[in-house]
Amino acid sequence: MRQGTAAYLFLLPWFLGLVLITIGPIAASAYLSFTDYSLIGAPEWIGLDNYARMLEDPRFFTSLGVTFTYVLVSVPLQLAFALALALVLDRGVRGLAVYRSAYYLPSLLGGSVAVAILWRQVFGTDGLLNGLLGALGLTGMPGWVSTPDFALGTLIVLNVWTFGAPMVIFLAGLRQIPRMYYEAAAVDGAGPTRRFFHITLPLLSPIIFFNLVLQIIGAFQSFTQSFIVSAGTGGPADSTLFYTLYLYQRGFGNFDMGYASALAWVLLLIVGGLTAVNFLAAKRWVFYGDG
Amino acid sequence: MRTLRLGALLAAAALTATACGGGDPGGDGPVTLRFSWWGSDARHTMTQQLIEAFHAEHPDIRVEGEFTGWADYWDKLATSTAGGNAPDVMQQESRYVREYADRNALLDLGKYDVDVSKLDPAVAGTGKVGDATYAIPTGVNAYTVVVDTALYEQAGVPIPDDETWSWDDFVDTTAAITANTGGKVHGVQNIGFNEAGLEIFARQRGESIFTADGAIGLSDQTLSDWFALILRLRDRRSEPEPSVTIETQAGGIDQSLMATNRGATGVWWTNELATLTKASGHELALLRFPGESQGRPGMYFKPAMFFAASARTEHPEAAATFIDWLVNSPKAAEIQLSDRGLPANTEVREQVFGKLKAADQQSGEFLREIGPTLAPPPVLPPPGAGEVQGVLQQLNEQLLFDRISVPEAVSQFRQQAEAALK
Repeated sequence: MRQGTAAYLFLLPWFLGLVLITIGPIAASAYLSFTDYSLIGAPEWIGLDNYARMLEDPRFFTSLGVTFTYVLVSVPLQLAFALALALVLDRGVRGLAVYRSAYYLPSLLGGSVAVAILWRQVFGTDGLLNGLLGALGLTGMPGWVSTPDFALGTLIVLNVWTFGAPMVIFLAGLRQIPRMYYEAAAVDGAGPTRRFFHITLPLLSPIIFFNLVLQIIGAFQSFTQSFIVSAGTGGPADSTLFYTLYLYQRGFGNFDMGYASALAWVLLLIVGGLTAVNFLAAKRWVFYGDG
Repeated sequence: MRTLRLGALLAAAALTATACGGGDPGGDGPVTLRFSWWGSDARHTMTQQLIEAFHAEHPDIRVEGEFTGWADYWDKLATSTAGGNAPDVMQQESRYVREYADRNALLDLGKYDVDVSKLDPAVAGTGKVGDATYAIPTGVNAYTVVVDTALYEQAGVPIPDDETWSWDDFVDTTAAITANTGGKVHGVQNIGFNEAGLEIFARQRGESIFTADGAIGLSDQTLSDWFALILRLRDRRSEPEPSVTIETQAGGIDQSLMATNRGATGVWWTNELATLTKASGHELALLRFPGESQGRPGMYFKPAMFFAASARTEHPEAAATFIDWLVNSPKAAEIQLSDRGLPANTEVREQVFGKLKAADQQSGEFLREIGPTLAPPPVLPPPGAGEVQGVLQQLNEQLLFDRISVPEAVSQFRQQAEAALK
């Protein structure tokens, strides 16, 4: 019993942290989502009004559209890149550790403010990219981050570029596949393509699934890139208005924290729902060798 | 043994708890005020000097400075106010005064000892809501047209007569600059991002962005003419292509067309003239807005910014003393010069006028010259005004890229601005 007390005492700091820093704010935000809360004044209960308001809010739908486009395009591209590079590196490149680190580097930097600022410079009207294109004779190119048709595309490229984290995980997964399967398949006359589709992909599917779930959740929460590249506006012309950026604008820019809290809960429901769908669908394509 | 360990744990926990709970000042030591402001590095250094000079005169009041850039300032102020630890004294801006005052977050300085008798009558009452004085103006500003005389000469375009020019002349003049220089220099930087331009445009027609009771005061006709003007400036190539406009806008004053000698005309606040002059290295001239002689005068004096105190401050008298000193003390004015606008206190303004930078003296002379013709300043904008500005900027971008038409911009402005003011 007394041993139990000591254990609880040791658990206490962690438990306090969980309650005060995680569960408390989550509960508060759930409550605030049903109120009109200006941050400065006291919250005022308004029931479901915040949720109803979203249906008539054009920028809510704009931000949803931007975010879904971003997730649906950038996540598959990023995973495909990561897998392709992991396959190349898995073939036994000399100096693997160096390559692995080099390709992982963007993952460490990609979400940072500094890189977002760099991105703005590289893809600007007088930026590095247009300088290179100009040297190739392609002049009169637009400012990629300042033209609505291309701005989101450059952010997608930025996200794809940070393929290092899933790549490292893929690489570890590839190492787990027993070599004898490949040898047996080769003896039976399977070419590289068949070996990839019938051995690598099925045995790697739990890893692919893991990366997919993680990257989808991460992409939905993207914020920094758009915040820095568009100087906080989600522009040009709302073309990079990520959901989280819009949420931030409402809560902190427009004294609309009740509505922002409701937006946060809708995002949670969307991401939770998609993850659930993912897990259900996984039963059809993810193969657990030990099961 | 086990008991000992438990005891040690409890003791450690108790120690931590006391450490966290500490901070009760106790006794009658000197009062400490927290003062927050936004601004540039130059302002931060200057304000620290102000704080030291104040402390030398009032040894019983200590002031701690907190500062950030403009955008972070409002996030931080809102969250600290929500958390009940707003700074005692804060720099404020007209768009946000009522946002805070209407929610009882600001102290009524009228009840404390702040002398407002010497303030420029043009702005003296601008921090009032009803009978309460929530904010004291720091200085005076006006939104004007700035022209680069060297670039006008280079383009062979005469500087327009600002006593008579119309908005059509504005479009023709700026378009001529771009045409005559083959696009090396553009006539003007986009004027749709700061709502002050629209305010002047509307006031020339007897309207204003906000009415006295806090509703939208713009007619559809005025909105539609304004948005059409934005498109005319784009189509006549007075301004660069939209993507360049977006990048220039994000770069602030230092990257503006005028600061980098890529544009001959701009719309700016008078206290920005010194920065522009220094960056461009050219001689700049201040002009009245176009259209001032066709309708009613639309230009106005604006309180550059305000000082305000938190309603929750534990030391309201000390806060009032500090604000009074900031606004009325000649010593403060000598340090501050025109950084927070041309000093609002007219006596100290005269005293320091000779010490101002040449460009600030130029602004001062200009303000003195146009003063008699100006209409009274607009009322403090209602809560939600900051968001209305965001709506205008967003629609401006949508228009520039032809994402919406002028009539769509008008109806979207109505819908979104009215929702913001709800």
